[in-house]
Amino acid sequence: MATDFEFRKQVLDMHMSGVIKYCYQCNRCTDYCPVAEVTDNAYNPRQNILNALLGFKDAIFSAEKIAIWGCTVCDTCDEVCPQSIELTEIFKLLKNQSVINGDAPDYYYLQAKTIFENAKAVPPQPAIERRRQQLGLPAVAAPDVNELTTLLKNMGIDKKLKGE
Amino acid sequence: MAEFKMFEGCMIGNRIPFIEASCRKVFDKLGIATSQAPFSCCPDPTGFANFDNDGWLAVGARNLALAESEGKDIISLCNGCSNTLKLVNHTLKHDNLKKDKINQELLKIGKEYKGTIDVKHFVSVLKGELEKIKSSTVKPLSGLKVACHPGCHYMRPSEVMETDDPMHPMDLKEIVIACGATVVDYGEEVLCCGSSVSNAYEDHGMAILKKKMDAVKKVGADCLVVNCPACFQQFDGKQRDLSKKFEEEFKIPILYISELIALGMGIPADELGTKFHRTRVSDILEKIG
Ligand code: SF4
Ligand code: SF4
Ligand code: SF4
Ligand code: SF4
Repeated sequence: MATDFEFRKQVLDMHMSGVIKYCYQCNRCTDYCPVAEVTDNAYNPRQNILNALLGFKDAIFSAEKIAIWGCTVCDTCDEVCPQSIELTEIFKLLKNQSVINGDAPDYYYLQAKTIFENAKAVPPQPAIERRRQQLGLPAVAAPDVNELTTLLKNMGIDKKLKGE
Repeated sequence: MAEFKMFEGCMIGNRIPFIEASCRKVFDKLGIATSQAPFSCCPDPTGFANFDNDGWLAVGARNLALAESEGKDIISLCNGCSNTLKLVNHTLKHDNLKKDKINQELLKIGKEYKGTIDVKHFVSVLKGELEKIKSSTVKPLSGLKVACHPGCHYMRPSEVMETDDPMHPMDLKEIVIACGATVVDYGEEVLCCGSSVSNAYEDHGMAILKKKMDAVKKVGADCLVVNCPACFQQFDGKQRDLSKKFEEEFKIPILYISELIALGMGIPADELGTKFHRTRVSDILEKIG
């Protein structure tokens, strides 16, 4: 397995304090991970941290999608890690890269597109607007969709979206 | 108490607004003042943050800037939103490089976030009003056995959320007790609902949900109380599928904590829109009387 030093540097830069280096593979993260439990470790946070730390880029990005996208982001591993490693921050870096590679599960591209186009992950619907009225609720304050789209476009998010 | 900007979030605002109804009624009774702002999606800490971290920071910061321009703190009705807004706030308050980078983007749309406001989950605010909740409860819910699910992002990651013990949360339980109901422990209080993994891997989400509901069912809870719309949707909306998948009946009523408090305050179920729940709550309504 080859180490990609550029990638390794990115990983190490995630924590200013460099705590990830102190992972001693105790497996507590995986022991407490609800997804590892129900998938027989097909999703395995300890393994992801090891691969990231060693700069094993290929092992991470050519594996089955679930190897990084199986996380349910419950932040339990962050709490139980004896070395105070913020695992989910490292995982976010991996997932952001996977998005760029075009390899994330469809859901994530769809949600991003919905936010890009509507400024909301759950856009308004006429039936619910009526229900709000029935319940005596004020209308939702409408966001400035153009402004949000511009913000995201300026940051190149539109180029990461998929599908049409 | 100073007025908050209400961040209901798009799931509550645009899909399950009856939750906003109970929250608003409870806030009114307790004297918690709120006003609206044209917020966008927070955006989702388990979805969009994993899509593009800087984009997530910028959209979150723009929301914070909207509240800051009125000099008001935010009150959130949702774990996901409060997680995003608190994480973004924390990052920008502690990392000047990031703050400058994000503000450069905000500047192009005529905004800036200085970092002067705070974000509160409504449960943390209610936790500070236990006495008032007690004194406004006219229908003590004694005898009602309540299981609690505060949800991961109410208290984790703890050094940013700064609400409750990350692995032994108490806030929600204390509110339930203040309403006069009985808390039942089921041993899986801090287990995730499985909502986020369900988005790409439905089966794994269902397996986690099963573990959770098994535990709640086993202790004979009358209902499960939550404070996040994503948890609510997972529990309320998916129990029927769970029953089918595992050929075993799951029909535990799910209540938002604001609904429980409102019922204790004597607010009629009709006004709360409890009929919009997917899993029937009529059994508990009868029990409360
Ligand atoms: S819990 Fe922390 S130290 Fe232990 S294996 Fe996981 S990341 Fe490494
Ligand atoms: S955050 Fe992800 S990796 Fe960590 S325990 Fe939860 S599901 Fe597992
Ligand atoms: S995170 Fe969820 S609830 Fe919050 S604004 Fe986005 S979609 Fe709505
Ligand atoms: S329990 Fe599920 S929906 Fe609720 S906060 Fe955790 S991940 Fe989000």
